[in-house]
Amino acid sequence: MAGLAGLAGLGLSACGRGFGGGDDEPAAGTVQLNMVWWGDAKRAEKTQAALDIFQRKNPGITIKTEYQDSGPYKDKLATRFAAGDAPDLMAMRMDSLREYADRGALLDLTSHSGAVDLSGLSESARTLAAVGDKTYGVPAGLNAIGFVINKTLTDKYGVQIPDGNTWSWADLSTFSQAITKASGKKVYGTNFDASTLANLIVFTRQQGEDFYTADGALGVTEATMVAWFDMFNQMRASGAMPPAGFIEDVGSSAEASYLAKGSIASQIIPTNNFLVYKEAAGGNLALLRIPGETQAKRRGQSVDCPHLWSIASASKHQAEALKLLNFLVNDIDASKATGTTRGVPASSKIAEELKPSLTPDDQVATEYLIGLQGENLPRSYTYPPGSSKIQSSLESIATEVEFKRQTPQQAAKAFIDAGRKALGK
Amino acid sequence: MTSGTTTRALAGSVASDVLAAPRRRRAKPRKDRAGYLFLLPWFIGMLFTIIPFFASLYLAFTDYNLLNAPQWIGFGNFREMLDDPLLRQSLKVTFIYTFVSVPLSLVVALGVAMMLNRGIRGLSVYRAVFYLPSLLGGSVAIVLLWKYIFGFDGIVNGFLGWFGIDGPGWTTDPDYALTTLIILHIWTFGSPMVIFLAGLRQIPTMYYEAAATDGASRWRQFRSITLPLLSPIIFFNLIQSLISSFQTFTQGFIMSGGTGGPADSTIFYNLYLYQQGFSQFHMGYASAMAWVLLVIIAAFTALNFLAAKYWVFYDN
Repeated sequence: MAGLAGLAGLGLSACGRGFGGGDDEPAAGTVQLNMVWWGDAKRAEKTQAALDIFQRKNPGITIKTEYQDSGPYKDKLATRFAAGDAPDLMAMRMDSLREYADRGALLDLTSHSGAVDLSGLSESARTLAAVGDKTYGVPAGLNAIGFVINKTLTDKYGVQIPDGNTWSWADLSTFSQAITKASGKKVYGTNFDASTLANLIVFTRQQGEDFYTADGALGVTEATMVAWFDMFNQMRASGAMPPAGFIEDVGSSAEASYLAKGSIASQIIPTNNFLVYKEAAGGNLALLRIPGETQAKRRGQSVDCPHLWSIASASKHQAEALKLLNFLVNDIDASKATGTTRGVPASSKIAEELKPSLTPDDQVATEYLIGLQGENLPRSYTYPPGSSKIQSSLESIATEVEFKRQTPQQAAKAFIDAGRKALGK
Repeated sequence: MTSGTTTRALAGSVASDVLAAPRRRRAKPRKDRAGYLFLLPWFIGMLFTIIPFFASLYLAFTDYNLLNAPQWIGFGNFREMLDDPLLRQSLKVTFIYTFVSVPLSLVVALGVAMMLNRGIRGLSVYRAVFYLPSLLGGSVAIVLLWKYIFGFDGIVNGFLGWFGIDGPGWTTDPDYALTTLIILHIWTFGSPMVIFLAGLRQIPTMYYEAAATDGASRWRQFRSITLPLLSPIIFFNLIQSLISSFQTFTQGFIMSGGTGGPADSTIFYNLYLYQQGFSQFHMGYASAMAWVLLVIIAAFTALNFLAAKYWVFYDN
């Protein structure tokens, strides 16, 4: 048995060196860091600009970056770890954090506070990444979800945009129906996914519940899930949203989105993507809060991050990786280069310093987030291990509702059952 | 250097096993060596198959999350499979796909092969045109193209629209998504078709001439001459198609963006295996699934060989 295990290990590590590594050997005396993340070409350009500054300031370190679309990133990262070829510094999904951290794959940054200064982190940034009293990553930026409306279309069809700070879910429905009607169904008023956890989490918090509780259990009730699915059914029936089957999986880029195509007038986006969506949709987008915030039992929105920066505990160049992480978090030049492609800088000090140098468009999303940060929002808890399973069962159950194969009641029950099973509580 | 020596030693031992004829080996060592040299890439390739093969057999009996060392859990993964609704769903999807699309694609392949076998001019062009989809059918680009053709505003629904029919979401509606993939599979009938065509050309024309003289209808000729004489080829195509169909992955992965959706309607067995292994950190379970698939495929292949006695006719 042990022999076989050894053989397996041998096979895996051999593969890792053969394919995953494949890097050009760095010159003697220099250290090469491997850094991986997801995003588009725009983000790559900005990230590279920051890394160039770092390499100029630290002549002994070169950085080899790899990036790709967000969808397949997760599987790729898991494979890299399995092959014993973990990157030094990586973008870590919030819902994957515990799956790696709980298994000892990530470096605890609290024990390296001398190398990475975390004292500048805003309160919301600090709580985001905490797992107990340890920290396995630093938010690469802060964002929230926001509602964007294409103003070109509302002007064209003469529909007024509701007040984004006080609008209700009913207002959203009325507004969207008006667009659909005025356009003769050429443009549907709105569309957003019932299966995107970030959307559902805000809705759940508005009902006074936590989607995930502090001890990592499922806190959302069946009643809330019924209300969530009901709302989508009603919006589809009234024409506020396109009919079942209309929306296809077109990937995650802003350019390919239905908002950019002009077949829907509004949707929910992560605020750090405001710039790319604005450009893709023709340059005239309004950014509103999520509906229902003033009518709800409590505030639903929260400050999140698109991803964390984490360091592999198996990294051979931890000192250098920490140095790079510190640069990304605490150096104003880094943030000036990257702008807000990953959200508002996690360090409040850097965020303040960066603000004046942002373009007016960039300031829209930044103001939005800084506004939220200043308000008293209930805390949200880290995704427990098993949450990726919850995400996939939500996707299939939401589709069952969309095509009327399940009633909201059946779907809500099925989701809660599947969720509890996935979390083991 | 070392690898060269090893290979020579390996080649030598295989040679003595296989040929078991030392005299001949002494007589033509040079020729043998050239042969094994040509086989070398295969031997090296085999290592990359054999090692993961045994590794996965071991991992099937472990709890392995990719990040920590595997923990031996005996038959735990196999017990878990008995109570996994998504695994049952993935088997259902794979079986429906296989048992609908394999017979249909073979019928289409045989039909087109017979059409092309009538000595039409420009045969090689037609053959290439019909074969083209199967070169591309499993490829990412074609599945993406398919997605557009069958999109909500795609060509198919546009065509249906002329007749006042509101087409469904072919790729987004859980009731239609698998059907769309089955149609794609049938469209890629090229490789069995080419094999059928070769088989048809082997049947001596005198049989047909004799049958025609005796007044046999075309249908009668097909049933009494073509089918029996072609049965070994049909058998070969059937086995090939069954095996590859059980292992379908790309189509489901691309069409659903890796989720197996809508609503798990395209979650092929191999796609679910991939999700377990690489998205859910459940590599032990995924390895166990791989071995169960091997057993399923072996069972169906064995069944086919048993049944073959009753319908496959070898004319030697």
